[in-house]
Amino acid sequence: MAWLIALKDLRVEWRTREIIFTTGLFGVLVIIISSLSFYLSRDLSSRLAPGVIWVAIAFCGVLSMSRSWARERENDAVRGLLLSPIPRPSIFLGKWLSGMFLLLAIEAFLVPLVAFFFHLDLTPVWGRLSLVILMGSAGFLAAGTLFSALSVRSRARDLMLSVVIFPLIAPALLSAVVATREIFAGAPLEETLEWLRVLAAFDIIFLAGGYLLFEPLMSE
Amino acid sequence: MSFDFERVETRELVKMYGVTRALAGVDATFSAGNVTVIEGPNGSGKSTLLHILSQEVRPTGGEVRYGDRRVRRGRLRAQIGVLAHQPMLYPDLTGKENLALFGELYEIDDLDSRIDGLRQRFQVGRYADRPARTWSRGQLQRVALARALLGRPRLLLLDEPSTGLDTQSVDLLSRAIMDERARGAIVILVTHDRAFAEAVGDNTLQLHRGEVLSEAQAIEGVS
Repeated sequence: MAWLIALKDLRVEWRTREIIFTTGLFGVLVIIISSLSFYLSRDLSSRLAPGVIWVAIAFCGVLSMSRSWARERENDAVRGLLLSPIPRPSIFLGKWLSGMFLLLAIEAFLVPLVAFFFHLDLTPVWGRLSLVILMGSAGFLAAGTLFSALSVRSRARDLMLSVVIFPLIAPALLSAVVATREIFAGAPLEETLEWLRVLAAFDIIFLAGGYLLFEPLMSE
Repeated sequence: MSFDFERVETRELVKMYGVTRALAGVDATFSAGNVTVIEGPNGSGKSTLLHILSQEVRPTGGEVRYGDRRVRRGRLRAQIGVLAHQPMLYPDLTGKENLALFGELYEIDDLDSRIDGLRQRFQVGRYADRPARTWSRGQLQRVALARALLGRPRLLLLDEPSTGLDTQSVDLLSRAIMDERARGAIVILVTHDRAFAEAVGDNTLQLHRGEVLSEAQAIEGVS
């Protein structure tokens, strides 16, 4: 059932291309401004790039989640989902899946763009970097999906999402930034693995928490 | 396993929103083949009662019995259809896509023929092949009615369904309610449209400040 909801989101996005274009454009802007402001030399670029990557991902993620749930508010469509006989955690999983697909598509464009503007060679690190980005995005989106759902009927929804989500995901986001920095600095695999374990723990907590809390929190 | 019931009963139903008491011990019985109109001024708890009956929100106190069993959530929701002022349709999907999505969520076997049948029944024309965003209010409400009836619900909850509809659409809605009553559905209607209520209702339940003022009064000329 989660797949049905995810496919519905992707079909709507395919038709409108709204999230990809608006969020992707915002990400490009963040990267270009950062490169113009911070780029000093090739030596320093590998230290700056992790921050730029994750700032772009964090803002794009919040924007895409916000827009995705705004679609659920139109015509009160989310009520139709909540009234249906599917287990409510399926709605959480479906929204998370579609959010992951869209964010990964945006990241697949933004990360090479960061490499281009900061003169980085991704060839030796792409495997580990992809894993960190995948794991960082998974936990971030799980927490974001839960709070976006909660704020769907709140008037201060955008404010609430930004105010609540960033402190909540800060540990996961910081782990992802440090892991990315280690990868660019050429740290051995063992050191990166420690951060990947931290990210995995956050992913499990946020995904399991979202799955378990969605039903009781959406029943009021 | 499917679950069916011929009566819905609320016992001492209480709902608090913070310190605000929306329902204050509502006792009511709704039977199959009957259209009950819930009346009352704004803030009397009509919509809250529907939200609890539809399993959307939990009551603070009391209980709802569907048939002889006290059931919550899960498969019970497959037996409940809701039509409200908002159509609960995705604006960027077509009518068929919207109905197919909800049909799959309700796990309806003969989905294509069911959708075709409902489109014919509610005179859903070619407009439904366009995204819902482009439809009029009446067109939206026809497809929303089809969505609510996709799963042949035993309990049909209608919250201000006729607001903003033209005469033809109100007639179509009235006929649909009569048909559902004849099929044996338990129909509960909240409306401020007195003429519409008298046209389709069998009895009324009056709420005031979350309490039942009078229950199951037959509407004159109908029952």
